[in-house]
Amino acid sequence: MSAVIEAELVDPRSTSKGIWGDTLGNVLRQRNAIVGLVILIFLLLTAVFADQIAAYPPNQVLLGSVAGVKKSSPPCIHVLGCPDDRPQLLMGTDSNVRDVFSRVVHGARVSLFIGFATVGFAIVIGTLIGLVAGFAGGWTDNILMRLMDVVLVFPALLLAIAIVTALGQSLLNAQLSIAIVAIPIYARIMRASVLSVKESDFVTASRALGESPAGILFRRVFPNAVTPLIVAGTLGIGGAVLDVAALSFLGYGAQPPTAEWGSMIGLDSGKLFTAPHLVFFPGLALVLTVFGFNLLGDGLRDALDPRLNR
Amino acid sequence: MSRTTRWSPLAVLGVVAILFSACNSSASPSPSSAAVAPSTPASAGASASAGASVSAEPYTGTSYPDTAVDCASKPAGYTGEFSQIKAVDRYTVEFDLCAPDVAFLSKIAFATNGIQDSDWLAKHAPDKSYVKTANGTGPYMFKEWVSGDHITLEANPNYWGKDKPIAKTLIFKWAETAEKRLQDLQAGSGTADGIDNVAPDDFDTVKNDPNLQLINRDAFTILYLGFNVDKAPWNNEKVRQAIAMGIDRQRINDTFNPPGSEVADFFTPCSVPGACEGDKWYGYDKAAAIQALKDANFDFSKTYDLYFRPKVRGYFPNPPGVAQDIQAQFKDLGIDLKVHTEDNATYLGNSSKGQYSLFLLGWGGDYPDMTDFVDYHFGSGANGAFGKKFDDITALLTQGASELDATKRLDIYKQANNLIRQHVPMIPLNHAASAVAYQADVTGAQASPLGNDVFWIVKPGDRDQIVFEQNAETAGLYCGDESDGDSLRNCEQIYDPLYTYAPGKTDVIPNLATECKPNDDGTKWTCSLVQGVKFHDGADFDANDVVTTFAAQWDAKHPLHVGNLGTFDYFPGLFGGFLNPPAS
Repeated sequence: MSAVIEAELVDPRSTSKGIWGDTLGNVLRQRNAIVGLVILIFLLLTAVFADQIAAYPPNQVLLGSVAGVKKSSPPCIHVLGCPDDRPQLLMGTDSNVRDVFSRVVHGARVSLFIGFATVGFAIVIGTLIGLVAGFAGGWTDNILMRLMDVVLVFPALLLAIAIVTALGQSLLNAQLSIAIVAIPIYARIMRASVLSVKESDFVTASRALGESPAGILFRRVFPNAVTPLIVAGTLGIGGAVLDVAALSFLGYGAQPPTAEWGSMIGLDSGKLFTAPHLVFFPGLALVLTVFGFNLLGDGLRDALDPRLNR
Repeated sequence: MSRTTRWSPLAVLGVVAILFSACNSSASPSPSSAAVAPSTPASAGASASAGASVSAEPYTGTSYPDTAVDCASKPAGYTGEFSQIKAVDRYTVEFDLCAPDVAFLSKIAFATNGIQDSDWLAKHAPDKSYVKTANGTGPYMFKEWVSGDHITLEANPNYWGKDKPIAKTLIFKWAETAEKRLQDLQAGSGTADGIDNVAPDDFDTVKNDPNLQLINRDAFTILYLGFNVDKAPWNNEKVRQAIAMGIDRQRINDTFNPPGSEVADFFTPCSVPGACEGDKWYGYDKAAAIQALKDANFDFSKTYDLYFRPKVRGYFPNPPGVAQDIQAQFKDLGIDLKVHTEDNATYLGNSSKGQYSLFLLGWGGDYPDMTDFVDYHFGSGANGAFGKKFDDITALLTQGASELDATKRLDIYKQANNLIRQHVPMIPLNHAASAVAYQADVTGAQASPLGNDVFWIVKPGDRDQIVFEQNAETAGLYCGDESDGDSLRNCEQIYDPLYTYAPGKTDVIPNLATECKPNDDGTKWTCSLVQGVKFHDGADFDANDVVTTFAAQWDAKHPLHVGNLGTFDYFPGLFGGFLNPPAS
């Protein structure tokens, strides 16, 4: 109790560690966010050390190299009572006699890359559009934002499928299509922030001091409008991973033999009742990833919201 | 004034009558259109009416074409074996051939040759409605086709055959995945009484279910990895031979095929005489394959394309699995493949036009003779899937199809098999077995190795309808133009060929013909027809119907040579080629 009282008595300015330090502190104060962060760090490590963690290369057919291996066989873990004469396979094999564990592990690399790259691309383009629209106003604003509205009119996944169909089926095109569909979200957020920030006194001051419009835009307005973008981006990564997985499930995204969770589920979806592990493990990995990003995103939102700032 | 008004309807009638007769007479002189309604001149509009006394009417048999094809100097582009088809009298048909055909009876027994009513076809020709409806002499009559859902057939009360249809109604449904079909079967007899192609992984599920029964279909199929030998890099025979050594076919068979399947050492399953004469296929030797590829200066830096259609067939129980395994095996050889899928409708068309450089396709045997397997793929009538044909192979196959001496025939196929092995237009992978499943109380169900399951001898427990779920929707019911097993299975219940295969077996037995006899040198077959048979619409069956059925398929310029796709894929494979073949 006394520690709390002391903390409340201390002048907040004296303990401030800058905006990022404060944010991290705020994030770490929330249990949800910590869980999300732990999941993501775990996934990140898995992705980075996939080659070391996975027992086999993701696309290796085990026939011929591992004795006694069968297709679509359930997990076999020796310490859990699986007979020693059967090869140890943590998540079993898929219908092409590949190690599901190795594929799920390598899938983390693909999915995280998909998430960051897709949202990264969408944020960069969306931010530029939002900044220009919000700062310039008038006709520029009108044209840009109506363009964004047009994209928003279509159901996201359908538009993505249409784009992939036009560009050709590949993982890169799937990412590109999901990114294009997500651009308006970030453009709108950025524009809204810019509209509120650009009327602030410090912007007026900069202008009075003769700073160029570009300087005002990128040095004054952007850093002060970036907070909601970080939150939306973190939440968006989970969504993007899921959307690309959906495209891959339908056959529009990752092409065989790429170990991508969505395409793994798609390939063996018919075996849900005969070999459920083929759908369960990649599905679990997807759930975990999206869950992690959502928890962290929520935490970040709470942490970065000045009204909720403690 | 009043006179003119009173006369004008009559005048109109007169004009219509003149026009009508002009249409009829103008059709007859041209040889191609003569057979639209071959019996029209004789019947003079009366014979088609049901119930008319058959024997009392005069009868004129038609011949197609009017003048027999001169076998000594065949018209340009004609590679077929027919010279003329004649209706000698009401119940006798004569097939004049340019060369003997050992497998003639097996070929006329095939489902594409089910006999059609010439008048009915002519009536339904303008709008091609014979594709979506049917009028045969078979045990089941067409009732309705609900597009995208099901086809209903009902028992023919006047069926002429010995075995009358047991179930009153026969319904064909379809579901693309084996899992969905099994679920429907498990749901009970209301949903499905029988299903085609159980997934290999589900064999045990069916066997262990007391409510279901599994019926195995013998491996009378071939799955192959085809090359278009005109397209780089597969235009190099050395490269194809190297790949032939570098594919582990045993592994594909063990991993993806159900019990009873075999690795294919020859293109044709060994139960066919002549199929396994000659040298076995290349043994698997990865190191030798890589070395041979290097010796052939193969470009390992490029990514090549592999095509397949994700549709389960009896010869291909797991298309995406095999495609990915082929991809992995090529990777082991140092070759990168990109896998492409194409939907069912376009895949067969594109592959037969030779648009795919490397592709997976297969064949389910139609009748137990070499001609069914090798002629269709490598013979003079073969489509362009493998690119240019090999003259040495086609010459031998033409010879083999007409060689009456069994020993000499074996020797011909030995040479042909060795040439196929040498040229490697494709790599034979497996002869896959398959199975159908039924509710346990269904009796009389068969799984013919030829895929021609007949349903009129099937008893669906205490119910009076059979619901059978096939792999895909029926493409069409104009059977001469159809080539997929699902459509042909429908055809077999509705139409009768002159000969047929014994249910569940491969023996050929007389059907609408009481007997077909060859002359001494095998170049003329004379068939006596069953008398008093009526089509489902009540019309009488006679020799002219047989002539029209074959002529429509044979002559590419015949007015009835139009159908669902209009490709009439089977005819040239069976009988060597079209009359008036379209310029390719």
